[in-house]
Order: sequence, then structure tokens, then C-alpha cells
Amino acid sequence: MRPPIDTRPPYGLMVWAVLSLILALAFYAAPLRIANGPDLMPMLPLMTLFIWSTVRPRFIPPIVIFVIGILNDVLTGGVLGVWALAYLVSLTIARSRDEDGPTREFGPVWIRFLVVLAIAIPVAWSAGSLAIGQPAPVRPLLIEGVASALMFPLLAFVFIRRRNLRGTFGS
Amino acid sequence: MAIGGSSRRNDESGIRFSRTFTVALFLVSIVLIAFDRPQARSPALASLRAGIMDLSAPLLDLAAAPVRGISNIGPYWRNQARLAEENAELRQRLNETRYWRDLALQLRDQREVYEQALNVESPATQNRIGAWTLGDPDGPFVQSRLIGAGTRQGVDPGDPVLNVYGLIGRVVETGRVSSRVLLLTDLNSRIPVMADRSNARAVMVGDNSEYPRLDFLTRNADLEDGDRIVTSGDDGIMPRGLPVGQAQRDRQGRWRIRLYSDQAPVDFVWVFPFEPISAPETGADGSDEQLLTDEAAGDTGPEQPATDGAETSAGGEP
Repeated sequence: MRPPIDTRPPYGLMVWAVLSLILALAFYAAPLRIANGPDLMPMLPLMTLFIWSTVRPRFIPPIVIFVIGILNDVLTGGVLGVWALAYLVSLTIARSRDEDGPTREFGPVWIRFLVVLAIAIPVAWSAGSLAIGQPAPVRPLLIEGVASALMFPLLAFVFIRRRNLRGTFGS
Repeated sequence: MAIGGSSRRNDESGIRFSRTFTVALFLVSIVLIAFDRPQARSPALASLRAGIMDLSAPLLDLAAAPVRGISNIGPYWRNQARLAEENAELRQRLNETRYWRDLALQLRDQREVYEQALNVESPATQNRIGAWTLGDPDGPFVQSRLIGAGTRQGVDPGDPVLNVYGLIGRVVETGRVSSRVLLLTDLNSRIPVMADRSNARAVMVGDNSEYPRLDFLTRNADLEDGDRIVTSGDDGIMPRGLPVGQAQRDRQGRWRIRLYSDQAPVDFVWVFPFEPISAPETGADGSDEQLLTDEAAGDTGPEQPATDGAETSAGGEP
């Protein structure tokens, strides 16, 4: 029988966390639109950050959130600091509700992610609009937000369910 | 739907991070936003961005490779039925193109003779640089592409970038092996253009829509729906005559451009290294500048410095 994940040294899991964050950034920025179709790429870096800070908060200290935000800004060609600020604000507020430990039920996790999205998008829009000196278009952000909200269950299922099966969350 | 069947806590319950450090990171983010605005981007941050772009370029290329393959499958099968028809049409076009090719070669020879006679160096003789697109996030703040060619291949900031159909933008940041291309549709994009038919001048302004606006048109500009729009080269940054798109009116009656480059996905591009022709005032050897400032100084008397003289005449002193 496989031992519970928490009894083993977390190095493998840390490597997986780093890899998943890098992959999320790469897939978010890479040209993945097929045949000039609509750009429905969800906010993969935010989703991955949120999931890891739910299942392993220890792996996602504020500096990691900041660095991922900066990398997101560079890769998307945006103003440095916009997504870093949005991720920091939204995830910090989400974490302030974690005083009794992270949630393990899918429903509350999804709702909490929707709250994170609802904070991150206006913060990013405001910071970005201030930086470019005029109101930025809202539509691309909303499309990304809706895509993220709809695709989150799939990612959460893969990550959180996997851990649950290994005995970390479930009994 | 419950993913976890239990509410038992793990050993990470109640993890706390330094509040001071978090606040410090907030402040750093705000400072970065203030110093990295498109209007006032610091050179240090620009080189940091270029370094990160270079490091991430191979990874992005790798991530995009499977999708590039998949993208080619769909059009291939869709077009099977039309291949024969297209083949015949292409043969006809090839015959027509031969005529234009001969004419172009003839004109090139003629131009070379003129250039030799006038001792002119044309910037149009430089080679183009091919590059794959490595990143194309359509962000709300900047519309740009990351391409896999940089200073090592000869790309410089300001160079125009085209796909097979027309201009897509210009290089704004260069790394060693990658560059950032600001698209024509971006809010910060301003390109002087003209109508091919009438030479009516305008500035093409991006507004994050798919159809950039035509601003600063003259009152009686001779412009018609469907006019071919090309770069005018008036800014000295872009060469003259690069294909941009077709003029068309929107619902409000404003002139916009349907970009040629939209006819295909921007997956492979060409960068055209272009040495802008420097204005006489900013000549590299400074001789023309000296001549002009001497003239300005001559207007206001020999004892005054040249710059003072220029300011005096501009200020309307009697």
C-alpha cells in the first residue's frame, strides 16, 4: 500500500509544484490558438497558484506569487507588476479566510476561486489601465475569467482528487 | 460535489506568512507598475524583460510545437476537396506573376542604375529575417507577439514585421534570441500610412480592436472604400510601401483599416531590418547640425550661443 504523501519528504512534490507553475506560464503565453479560433485560454498561472496554495500553502509563499506574476507580465508583454499585484492581492485575501486550515470540499474551493477571480480581474484591470493611461478593454479579461471559472473544476479535479486518493484529504 | 470526503486537516493548517514581507511585495509591484509604463519604460527593466524573454523562448517554442502540428491538420483535410480548383487558379496566377516578376526585375535594374548615378544607398536592399511566433497572448493591456529572433539574428527595435500578407507590427524589445513585436492593433501603435491610389496621408492608430483607425486625415482626403493602404515612410522609422490593409468605413463613418495580415494566423513572420534615414539635423557626423545651428546663430548675432539663437527666433523676439 502506498504511504500517505505527507509522511514522505516533499522534494518530489516541490519539484512538481515548480514544474506545474512553469508549464502553466508556458501554456498561457505560447501560441496555442488553433486555426485563428477564439482565444479561450484560462488564467492558468492563477489557477495553478490557487490550487497549490490550497493543497500545499507552504509551497506558495508571497514571493512565489510575486515571481509568477512578474513572469506572467513579461511573457504577455504587459506592464511589469500588474499581474504580480493582482495575484498578490487576490490570493492574500483568499488566504485570510484560511485561518482554520485549507478547505477540502470541492464546492467551497470553487467558490473561493471565483472570489479570487472576482478580485484579481478588477485589480489587474485598474493597475493596467493606470499604467497604459487609459481604460483597458474589459472583454479579453472577462473572457479569460469565464474560461478560468469554467475550466477550474477540471484542473482542481486532477490535482485535488489525486491528492485525495492518496489519503491526504480523505480518510 | 465533494472532492474530499473528510474535513480532517493536514499538517499545513494555519500556515502564516510574514505580513511585512507581503506588504513590501505589494509596494514593489506598485513601484514596478509606475516605472514600467509604456510611455516611460526604464532601460534597466527593458533589459530584464529581454533576459527573461530569452530564457523562456525555448520553452514557449516547445509548448507551441504540438499545436503548430495540429493547426496544419485541419486546413489540410478541409482543403482537400478544393485542391484541384485551387491548383488551376494558382497556375493562372503564376503565369500572371511571371509578368510582374519580369517587370519588377526590370525596375530593380533601372533603380540600381539611378542609385549608382545619384550615389544613393537604398535601405530596401537589406535581407529579411524569418522567425516563428513563440508567444501570442491577447492581453487586455498590450497586444504583442514574442518572436524567435533577436539581436543575434540582426533584429533591432523599430524594425517592421510582416507575415505573408502584410505588416503586423514593429519590434519594440529585443533580446539575444527573441523579440517583442507590438501589433498594429495595440493602443500604443502609431504608423504613418497612405493610400496607394491617391497618396492621401494618415496615421494608423491602434485601439485594441481588429480594425485600426485612420486619424489625422486631411479634410478633403481622397480616400475610397477598398483603397490599398501602405506605409508612407513619413516617420523615417518604417520603409515606404509596406502593405498594410484596405480602407473601409465603420458604422460611425470613421475610416478604419482591414488588415491584410489578418488573412492568416501570425505563426511565421519576417522582420525587415531597416536603417532609418536620419534627418539632416541629427546626422551622425554632426556636420549638418553644425551648419543649421551656425545659421541660427548668424540670425541672432555671433556672440550668442547657437541654441540660444534658435530659442530666441522661435520665441518671436524682435
